[in-house]
Amino acid sequence: MQVDIRNRPSFANLHVQFEPGDKIIAEAGAMATMSANVEMKTRLNGGFFGALARRFLGNESIFINEFSAPSAGELVLTQPFPGDMVCTELRGNTLFLQPGAFIACDPGVRMSLGWAGVRSWIAGEGLFRLKLTGTGRLWFGAYGAIFDREISGEHIVDSGHLVAYEPSISINVGMAGGIFTSFFSGEGLITRVRGQGKIYMQSRSFDGLAAWTNAHLW
Amino acid sequence: MRHQMLCQPAATALRFELDQGESITCEVGAMIAMSSGLTVETTSKSKGGSGGIIKGLKRMFSGESFFLNHFTAQQPSQSLLIGPTMLGDCVHHTMRGGTMIVQGSSWLASTPGIDIDTTWQGFTSAIFSGESMFWVKCSGSGQLYLSSYGAIHCVEVNGDYTIDTGHIVAFEDSLKFNIGKASRSLIGSFLGGEGLVCKFHGQGKLYYQSHTLPSLGSLLGPKLKAK
Repeated sequence: MQVDIRNRPSFANLHVQFEPGDKIIAEAGAMATMSANVEMKTRLNGGFFGALARRFLGNESIFINEFSAPSAGELVLTQPFPGDMVCTELRGNTLFLQPGAFIACDPGVRMSLGWAGVRSWIAGEGLFRLKLTGTGRLWFGAYGAIFDREISGEHIVDSGHLVAYEPSISINVGMAGGIFTSFFSGEGLITRVRGQGKIYMQSRSFDGLAAWTNAHLW
Repeated sequence: MRHQMLCQPAATALRFELDQGESITCEVGAMIAMSSGLTVETTSKSKGGSGGIIKGLKRMFSGESFFLNHFTAQQPSQSLLIGPTMLGDCVHHTMRGGTMIVQGSSWLASTPGIDIDTTWQGFTSAIFSGESMFWVKCSGSGQLYLSSYGAIHCVEVNGDYTIDTGHIVAFEDSLKFNIGKASRSLIGSFLGGEGLVCKFHGQGKLYYQSHTLPSLGSLLGPKLKAK
């Protein structure tokens, strides 16, 4: 199964070329086009209660779609906002994703919802996070371009810009400076990530777009 | 006439080089910049063709403007820069006879040999295809330029092809589509977030957009303040 990320970074979309017997798991509603021979099966994302929790707490869909092709075919997957996509390969390790970032994965990747904590919620990253483990490729997306960084020690990210991180990373909320700086510099709250591992950030924040749009409506 | 696509796919602009006497018809408001040796003529008719008030009104139903702008070069090697209003891609299609059915508001420009009209694709498609009720019908031969939100890709359909509602940009009228469900079970199609899809059959070119504005709107809408 050949999967390409096309039109990076502004309108990234996944182009999947199936060989007979291939399978891919995708976020509900991500399909844009597909060959007529590609079959879509919808199933609960994990168990019933797990799926419900993901929907109402993690802002992810209750259902996921499994696409398979008995013969060669193609499938295009997309995301609701304009932005970038990234592929990473899991080899038994774990990656945490922000709600809404998941796009697709190989069948060997398992998905569950983890408690991210109040600190993560205050940081604008959500109370819950999606936990992906197993072996296989994983594709996730974001609003804006995605860039990664290997951190060791402490790193500061503006709130709403963290997309994914490894479990070795812990998250704390802080202020950008003193009270004055934090409120007038436009930075407000920031996220302190600490540990040893990889983080993925997005170059734009969706809440930033919403705030800008609100300011221009009249 | 030569054309060049710039800055694809996020903020695409089209640059034309026109020789003396050549002309191109563009969507109203698409012009970004042009040489001084070009004249602009605004009518509700195709260049040198038929149509009038009725065609202009019909065009408005499909999401296009009542008027069309015709740019004609009065001097040699004039350049014209045009772009669509929204973020997104443009695509070029050469027509040799035949007809293209274009999503309302995706028509950007065409050379004078192409006639622009409005068409209706049937009742179910009007309601369920996620596109506007009426479509733009381009027929004749010449160069056709389309624009859309998202990146545009082309697929040569030979047999059957499925496309989610709202992603159609244009298709050759040798293709027909009907509204169907995404998977075998109807309930599964809706639970899977795909709901209804457009199922194309036949042989011809199909242009689709990678992203759709309604899906962005449904995420942004709840975050907007009530006026």
